[in-house]
Amino acid sequence: MNMVRLIAWREYMENVKTKGFWAGILIFPIIFTAMYFLQTTLANSTPTRYYVFIDQSGEYSSAVETAIERDHQRRVLEEFVSYLMENRKETDLNLTAAGQTNPADQLIDSADADEVAALEQWLESGGLDFALTMASPALKDDRPPFEQPARQFIPADLPAGIDSSAAPTEIAQALRPYLNGERKILVDSKPSELFALILIPADVNEDISRPGAMPQAGGGPAGIQYWARNLTDTRLPDAIISSINSQIRNREYIDLGVDNQIVRNVQRTRMPISQLDPTAAQGEEQVSVADTFRQLAPIGFVYLMFISLMQSVQYLLSNTIEEKSNRIIEVLLASVTAGELMMGKLLGIGMSALTTIAVWLLSFFLFITLYRSSQTELISQILDVILGSELIPWFVFYYFAGYALYSGMFLAIGSLCNTLKEAQAMMMPMIMIQVIPLAMMVFVVRDPHNTIVRAMSWFPLFTPYLMMNRAAADPPLIDVVGTTIVLLLSIVFVLWLSGKVFRMGVLRTGQPPKLLELLRSLRQGD
Amino acid sequence: MCPAILESQTNTATSSVLSLQNVCKTYGDFTAVDEISLSIPRGSIYGFLGPNGAGKTTTIRMILEIIKPSSGTISILGHASALDVRNRIGYLPEEKGLYKKMKVWALIQYFAMLKGMSKQSAKRQAWYLLEKYGLKDFAEAKVESLSKGMGQKVQVLSAVAHEPELVILDEPFSGLDPVNQSVLEELITDMAENGQTVIFSTHVMQHAERLCDHILLIAKGRKIFDGTVNEAKATIPRRVMLESLDDVAALGSIAGVTEVIQIDSMDPAVASSGQWQLQISEQLNPQDILRSCFERNIALSRFEFTEPSLHDVFVHLVGDEAKEHAFR
Repeated sequence: MNMVRLIAWREYMENVKTKGFWAGILIFPIIFTAMYFLQTTLANSTPTRYYVFIDQSGEYSSAVETAIERDHQRRVLEEFVSYLMENRKETDLNLTAAGQTNPADQLIDSADADEVAALEQWLESGGLDFALTMASPALKDDRPPFEQPARQFIPADLPAGIDSSAAPTEIAQALRPYLNGERKILVDSKPSELFALILIPADVNEDISRPGAMPQAGGGPAGIQYWARNLTDTRLPDAIISSINSQIRNREYIDLGVDNQIVRNVQRTRMPISQLDPTAAQGEEQVSVADTFRQLAPIGFVYLMFISLMQSVQYLLSNTIEEKSNRIIEVLLASVTAGELMMGKLLGIGMSALTTIAVWLLSFFLFITLYRSSQTELISQILDVILGSELIPWFVFYYFAGYALYSGMFLAIGSLCNTLKEAQAMMMPMIMIQVIPLAMMVFVVRDPHNTIVRAMSWFPLFTPYLMMNRAAADPPLIDVVGTTIVLLLSIVFVLWLSGKVFRMGVLRTGQPPKLLELLRSLRQGD
Repeated sequence: MCPAILESQTNTATSSVLSLQNVCKTYGDFTAVDEISLSIPRGSIYGFLGPNGAGKTTTIRMILEIIKPSSGTISILGHASALDVRNRIGYLPEEKGLYKKMKVWALIQYFAMLKGMSKQSAKRQAWYLLEKYGLKDFAEAKVESLSKGMGQKVQVLSAVAHEPELVILDEPFSGLDPVNQSVLEELITDMAENGQTVIFSTHVMQHAERLCDHILLIAKGRKIFDGTVNEAKATIPRRVMLESLDDVAALGSIAGVTEVIQIDSMDPAVASSGQWQLQISEQLNPQDILRSCFERNIALSRFEFTEPSLHDVFVHLVGDEAKEHAFR
């Protein structure tokens, strides 16, 4: 046992001392953090976009202005909601829709539930100023002032020399160089890029299509013309067209003699849905956000398990192959038994893997503690729920079981190979086997008691992944106990067999043996 | 001291540290080691000699129980298995390799600890050895920064740091420059003086000749010779080389001269090269031949007596097999 500990410790220290180990570990949280900030920054740093708006019909200018204002207000609302989440006095994620008490929570909830309705309500009730006044009693006293996001779409004047009453084709032709980026328009006497041209021809109403009517055949663009080089940022045309459509519909309602206020109220009528969990105690059946995450958490665990196992396997293979190609193995085998050597390696690499997980979790906690925002707040609350659930012991068990099973096999592979290249060819099927339960992850969470899933759980190589995957759904006892027994027996068998292969493999030189040859040597008990 | 302990000590002192009885190792149809038996006395320096592929390394691995013999028995330090006494054995394998990223002193400490030394004494011993054998300046260096020869010295030190009773070195001299070869010879004699038994394999006969008390000569897995160096030398005839234009055939009548051979001239223009080789028995003093030459008025332009070297013995005993092996 002493020797095992000594070997494990050296193996561990050798990994931990290399820069590559830490680079490999830290790249994960660094990329994660960078991606998080990049996304937030990108979302906020979209440049101001200038558009030229020409309404030859004279009917829709207010609708377009409203559309753009609404788009801006929606962003204000989004920002404000996350401002509320960050600064409200108390936050309790287990609260359900029924238990709303303060205006801030109500606003957050309605923003989550129905964005359109929330926006209407927001605009009707007076927007930001009103919301700030309403919410302030529920907010922390030491909150920072709310910062409004900058406007993203700003109208620009038509460049001099272009007649706004000219035929649409002529206007488009004249603005082409601006829209292509070849020429700049002047905004406050600064040259700026023209993002889009919104052109509403005088006869636009002729293009309105109604159900039952045949679509009009004909060349040329129909309806409103939206000219822009950027085809992916559709916020502007989307906003405009929905605003104009609602104006047209209002007009039609009026023509039909229907009160459009009634229509709008009808449109905002909705039925809530309560998700209830029959396994929860009476009175606590309401499914909260956290409950949903508890059900989804296994996906994260399975993924973590896979990444960590893959990483350990790399270390196992490269260390074994180093010792083998260096012939250090011979000195080691003169000092310790092959079994001790193998166990030492498994333990040492296992400690490295645990260090990796610990560092990841630590940096994750550091991140959500140091950088508080609405999202991280949510994450930390979800984490609280997950850490408090029975999933953690399951994860620990399946992690170690999976590690013992897979690393035993990979170690045997490593002992048969002289170069990493040989080893990679041999480990390919092993990796493919792990990809199967990984690919099933989302499906398994949705249907954890599916017959195929249940049957596959009994295959020991899948057991750690699939049973972890199913853990949140309280799988039948027979599955839990049965697969655990099969898994443990397989681990004992794999470690025993790997020990034999390892002893035989480490002193081998030359090509890895063929399967038959391997079986024969194993039988001979070499 | 009580008599029982005294007796047991005398017993161990006289008994062999290692004995092999009819040890064989086969891989399928191929016989790597064939019926080797030997016995190595305590405190001796014992050489395993043989051409490449003779089975030296396989024999050593079986002794250490890294691989199991197909048949035969091994007794090492009074035990049937080397695993039982592995902390009392030191081993340097033929193919040298070390952990590249470790510091030199830490590496020696690690291998000593694997042999059961405590952390502190292993560290002390590592520094002591590095200083004693001229590697102190490299103690803090990483193994990968060492030259091949230096790395090999470090590996030898790591194999013997725990002061084992039995030291087995597989080809310890290969890859070392002459200066370091003599440092290693010094280390081996130091250990022998210290009462440790040293077994080493080599195919360089000079080292074996200078160091060994006993040698084992194997070829193609079979034992060719086992005994002291002098006994080995006795297996080939002693020779006296003469150069004379006179006829020396008459010297054949001296008791102890077993054969007189005229060596053919390389130059066909000259009838006789005047070179003669006399094979003489163990008992005959070469001076007697010289005296006879004077008595018989044989004019000598050269008289040369050389003791056969271990190299001659090697070539004589396994030369053909080694050649055959080389072209197999």
